Amino acid sequence: MKLVVVFKAVTRNWLRSRSGLFFSFLFPVLLLLLLASVSSTPGVPGPAGLGAGYYVASVTAAFVMTNGVIGLTNVGSELRRNGVLKRLSASPLPKFEWLLGNILSQAVLALILAGVMLALGAVLFRAEYLVNFFSIAILVMGTLLFSGLGMTLAGVIKDPETASGVGNAIAFPMMLLSGTFWPISAMPAYLQSVAAVLPLTFFSEGLRDSLVVANFQIALTDLVVVTAFAVAFLLIGTATTKWSEP
Amino acid sequence: MGAPVVRVEGLVKRYGGATALDGVSFEVGKGEVFGLLGPNGAGKTTTVEILEGVRAKTAGVATVLGEDPSDLKRGRSVKRKMGVLPQDFSAFARLTVRENLEFFAGIYDSPVNVPELIGLLKLEEDSQKRFALLSGGSKQRVGVAAALVNDPEIVFLDEPTIGLDPEARRATWKVISDLKDRGKTVVLTTHYMDEAEKLSDRIGILVKGKLAVLGSPAELIGRFGGSKTIVFKNGGDAVFGTLRRFFDGATMEGQDVVLPFENLRDLDVAMGALVGRGLDSDVALRQPTLEEVFLRFAGFRMTESGDAV
Repeated sequence: MKLVVVFKAVTRNWLRSRSGLFFSFLFPVLLLLLLASVSSTPGVPGPAGLGAGYYVASVTAAFVMTNGVIGLTNVGSELRRNGVLKRLSASPLPKFEWLLGNILSQAVLALILAGVMLALGAVLFRAEYLVNFFSIAILVMGTLLFSGLGMTLAGVIKDPETASGVGNAIAFPMMLLSGTFWPISAMPAYLQSVAAVLPLTFFSEGLRDSLVVANFQIALTDLVVVTAFAVAFLLIGTATTKWSEP
Repeated sequence: MGAPVVRVEGLVKRYGGATALDGVSFEVGKGEVFGLLGPNGAGKTTTVEILEGVRAKTAGVATVLGEDPSDLKRGRSVKRKMGVLPQDFSAFARLTVRENLEFFAGIYDSPVNVPELIGLLKLEEDSQKRFALLSGGSKQRVGVAAALVNDPEIVFLDEPTIGLDPEARRATWKVISDLKDRGKTVVLTTHYMDEAEKLSDRIGILVKGKLAVLGSPAELIGRFGGSKTIVFKNGGDAVFGTLRRFFDGATMEGQDVVLPFENLRDLDVAMGALVGRGLDSDVALRQPTLEEVFLRFAGFRMTESGDAV
């Protein structure tokens, strides 16, 4: 199966990048430690009364998003610029197996990240979770969503430097507006209406509702919305990833 | 020529208003090494990329092993039998040479043995180094190895020796010769005259998107290379002035005096005239080369980097 070959190569290539490792794993861990420490301080109520669990879910969601929107965008546009994609298009490797291998790699990295974050939250901050179908499904769908968005940006923007800039310009405001660091309800009304259409809002909320709050009715709604976004972005990402030159 | 493995007929490629290929036609037979020679921007890479199925054509026919490589379904079966070295080959930066070659091997159904391939391309010392840390020459050799990883029937090599030192260049030539010996078909693009002449059974010279001339190196040189010449090294104005009295065709190239050579009598006359005037000069016989053929059809010479001058 070519998919496994692609998965192995892209995952190894990703894991050997120091900056990739830092921003994929170390940075979210540091951020979680910082935020959860503050929220665990006696007298400081955690967001929405959820304590460290809030940040475990939100920071995990946020960094699954940045891995797709910034990481995959950078890698995809770089591989296109240096001709690796052109070389692959001259081989019998089908485009969908290449894309699927990359998405699978992102999904596995997301699951590892979630595992690390959950373990840290449980051990250091005594956070409690309910790992269930919804939380795993929403994590996988969220990975697909942001992999699709990353593929779309890498496909549309030819220059890797511009792609990186655009990825950052999308990821950071989305992270700030989607309830990663504070509840959306704490923001002004006009920002709440912006947050209401951002995919990370649904992903983050769905992960919190399924993992920490155990509100499966809202989690199901979030799962449906995240799945719809994922399908849309994967289709656009597949269409914009060019397997041959004009 | 055997049955055509590559067939190009009236191939046209336009980018907006600019025409990159203007009705190019040629065939390549089984087991043949076909060289596409031309300066940068002549259309060599565009031609091979269309044949590799990675670039769309505007009009005309381009088939490999009887199939159109751009065809979604049939193209894939052709690509299984095709080896490709693109210009400026690159691979996964943080994978080692061996890992990269194992990746390329993994995307084909019947790959060759990767360690053997590493040995063939003399990449043993680099096999555990990450691709990003390799020298330009080693990267290029990894590219050649990746092009052979599926034991292809036809190999497209786009500027295979660009950036290589002389030793690595000769090693790559040996690999190409071995491919020919094993009955493989090779389509080679280059702007190195010596490379095209040494390796190719037939050469097509591309100039500004048109195939200017096609034939074996010997044929092209014999028909279009002009006559042999005698070069009087550092002869200067005195030798030139003397020879010019006897030969209208005498010219100067820097301080060298160049005389078209028709027969031995010309040499006798020239040497007699020089001795008579007490002039002395080292003499060399210069055979016509592909460079003269290129100059004749292109109207300009090429630099080492493939630019027109």
